[in-house]
Amino acid sequence: MKVAGWVSFFLTTLITVLAFQGLIGFSDYGADWALLTDSYFHSILIFSLKQALLSALLSVVLAWPIARALYYLPNLPAHRVFLAFCLLCFVMPTLVLITGLVSLLGRSGVVSPWLVTILGDWNLYGLNGILLAHIYLNMPFAVRVFYQQFKNIPDSSWTLSMQLKLSRWQRLRIIEWRSLRGSALVMFGFIFVLCFNSFAIVLALGGGPKSTTLEVAIYQALKYDFNIAEALMLAWVQLLIAGGLFLMVSRFGNSHWLSVDTAREDWRPIPTGWRSWLMKGSYYLVWLALLLPVLALFAGVTQGDLLRIDWGAFIKPTLITLGLGILSASLGMGLAYAMLTPIRQLSVSAQPRKRVLLEWLATHALVAPAMVISVGLFIFLLPIIDIDRWGIVFVAILNTALVVPFAIQKLKPRLYQFDDQYDALTRSLKLKGLQRWAIEWPFIRSVFLSTYALVLVLSMGDVAIFSIFGTSDWTTLPWLIYGYAGTYRIAEASIASIVLLVLCVFILWLFEKVQSRHA
Amino acid sequence: MKKILSVTGALLLSASSYAADLTIYTYDSFVSEWGPGPKLEKAFEAQCQCDMVFIAVDDGVSILNRLRIEKTKTKADVILGIDDALIEVARGEELVQPHGVTVTGLKQELNWSDADFIPFDYGYFSFIYDSQKITTPPTSLKALIESDAPVIYQDPRTSTPGQGLMLWVKRVYGDQSDTAWEQLAKHTVTVTKGWWEAYSMFLKGDADYVLSYNTSPAYHVVTENKTQYKAAEFSEGHVAQIEVAAITQASKNTPLAKAFLTFLISPEAQTIIATNNWMLPVVDGLTLPAVFAELITPKRIGFTPKEVAEQRQFWVREWRSAATR
Repeated sequence: MKVAGWVSFFLTTLITVLAFQGLIGFSDYGADWALLTDSYFHSILIFSLKQALLSALLSVVLAWPIARALYYLPNLPAHRVFLAFCLLCFVMPTLVLITGLVSLLGRSGVVSPWLVTILGDWNLYGLNGILLAHIYLNMPFAVRVFYQQFKNIPDSSWTLSMQLKLSRWQRLRIIEWRSLRGSALVMFGFIFVLCFNSFAIVLALGGGPKSTTLEVAIYQALKYDFNIAEALMLAWVQLLIAGGLFLMVSRFGNSHWLSVDTAREDWRPIPTGWRSWLMKGSYYLVWLALLLPVLALFAGVTQGDLLRIDWGAFIKPTLITLGLGILSASLGMGLAYAMLTPIRQLSVSAQPRKRVLLEWLATHALVAPAMVISVGLFIFLLPIIDIDRWGIVFVAILNTALVVPFAIQKLKPRLYQFDDQYDALTRSLKLKGLQRWAIEWPFIRSVFLSTYALVLVLSMGDVAIFSIFGTSDWTTLPWLIYGYAGTYRIAEASIASIVLLVLCVFILWLFEKVQSRHA
Repeated sequence: MKKILSVTGALLLSASSYAADLTIYTYDSFVSEWGPGPKLEKAFEAQCQCDMVFIAVDDGVSILNRLRIEKTKTKADVILGIDDALIEVARGEELVQPHGVTVTGLKQELNWSDADFIPFDYGYFSFIYDSQKITTPPTSLKALIESDAPVIYQDPRTSTPGQGLMLWVKRVYGDQSDTAWEQLAKHTVTVTKGWWEAYSMFLKGDADYVLSYNTSPAYHVVTENKTQYKAAEFSEGHVAQIEVAAITQASKNTPLAKAFLTFLISPEAQTIIATNNWMLPVVDGLTLPAVFAELITPKRIGFTPKEVAEQRQFWVREWRSAATR
């Protein structure tokens, strides 16, 4: 297993190295550092930082009261469905979300006239749209994490707080804040990095040169002018900032950001009166806010469209999307598990510095500019292999590389927990290989399955990689949406979006079902 | 696992053949099932008794970029779908070779004589509007830019229509272009990456005007029976986009490539292209849906491909900083 772990490290790092090699080798020059003094570069750097900071801050701040409401009012109607829906939001294919947001808040959107009345002026495109989409994707996820953290507050803390007659403010400061602090910081860093590297959303909702992020600027540099020197410079800057921040957060923060599910029923103080109404109110409000873009998607399709459409055209892309997703998710889970073996050993033997470095390396795909990786690898491979024939293999490989960090982050806490509880025992019993696995598997099964579902849905939404390596023989569902919309077929694009969304919902539901049966 | 492997293997082998007699690089929407690609392939294969394949990439620019990476190792015999603005770049990097085809019967207004490239369709960049919403559209580019009507256009760095607008503004405004861009930025809803994002937002009603082609209304009439979409005709004239095809330097089958280019400007192929790619045919005398006769026929203005190749970078930077202000 240890060897498999190092091999996995080697393979995932190799992809990144080859990609940069592809770009550097092709251009014969290094990065174009003269750009550092260009005012346009300053404006995109500042904008990238600003929007990521705001997105992360708003997501975390808004998630907190919602998670609180869920914790203090365990009998809120449909709260389990809500938590599942939160997960769906996080993995929602960006193309689907963009279509939904535009139908809701675009210039002719359902809600826009009200916004114009209230705000005097409203334009979705620009910082507004970017923030809304980023919050939509990330806030619900933070809700889930915070909710778990709340649930981890031991009963004894509350009992003690009653005995000590702590005031509401003291309880908030001493009990709640302490349990959330670590994950709040890590959530913030994580969302910051995701938004800092955001591509599809900024491209679609950014509305032009005023709101460009580094990742989008890299794409623009590579796209028309094929200006590799400029792209490389931007890529290094992005890698430095996002990577540095991520390293810092994983060093100082509580690493359990995707914490373990615990099914204990806790005792907790139940709020009454206006506090309870406020909590209920915010809960329903968030429900509505999250549902609206999805509903807007359905509203855009008429009965005539449904009759006219060729449903058969969806079958093959759906199967390909599923097949590719299952392949990437399975490989990604395997790699993640293997890479966690040396990391866990460092954790057990208490070598934090090495462990953090290795963790960073394992999750570096999260901070490396995806555009650079795909294009770089493409340039590297094009003269060597027949991309038209094998391109789809690389779609699967790159998607695998991109889901590994998510799989690692979600599996890690549960495996650490296992090591805490059983490592010494399995050692003393001299359990190895399959025997050890027989104890470990039931312990991690439920987290393993939910992680699998998460990375499966994540990899199914990809279009960025497909746009570079994909071929028309292997059209996926997200690519079909692009294809329809690109040739005036807007209704079909909406319907394909709905099909993709339904597929995602089904997968999450299915795994939830399997998971709870075994729990 | 073994089962999965064998299934994957079988799927890979059954995918279409990769060693064809003629390989053509083109852009995605050209070969989509409702695009002209499949029909052209069928018609040409019946004629040449050969096997041809389309390999599709993102768009015209990507075709060129791919060729730049592959250089002599390319599989492509023909590239199809870069536009006249990119001609000089492709020629400058010695990616194509003279076609040697005797080109006759091309439309006068194209004024075409190029030893390397053959045009296969064209269109005039135009702003499209919904005539049920807008009754008096602007009659000049200046009027549109000075108005406060919500407009959507495409990024000149990532899309050919966006670049078309850049040339259009440059031709009309010259040294005052940056002021024009600033003016336009005040009522620009969004600048999109590609054509479809812009057009689908427009169809949803997100803007009054969208940058597209003078041929776009034909699509709505023929396939949707909707007559309200119109192209605004501007008095300064319009910039045209001419899509071209060429034989690559590395082509392994130039006789067949030549035969294909000849076929491309035949009435049969031209009819297929016009009614599936929604652009104007490059030859006269075709039987096309009646709506083609009703499209606006603006005066053609613009720059030579050489001028574009020399100035593009500079103009893009000018746009970039003016639109950010």
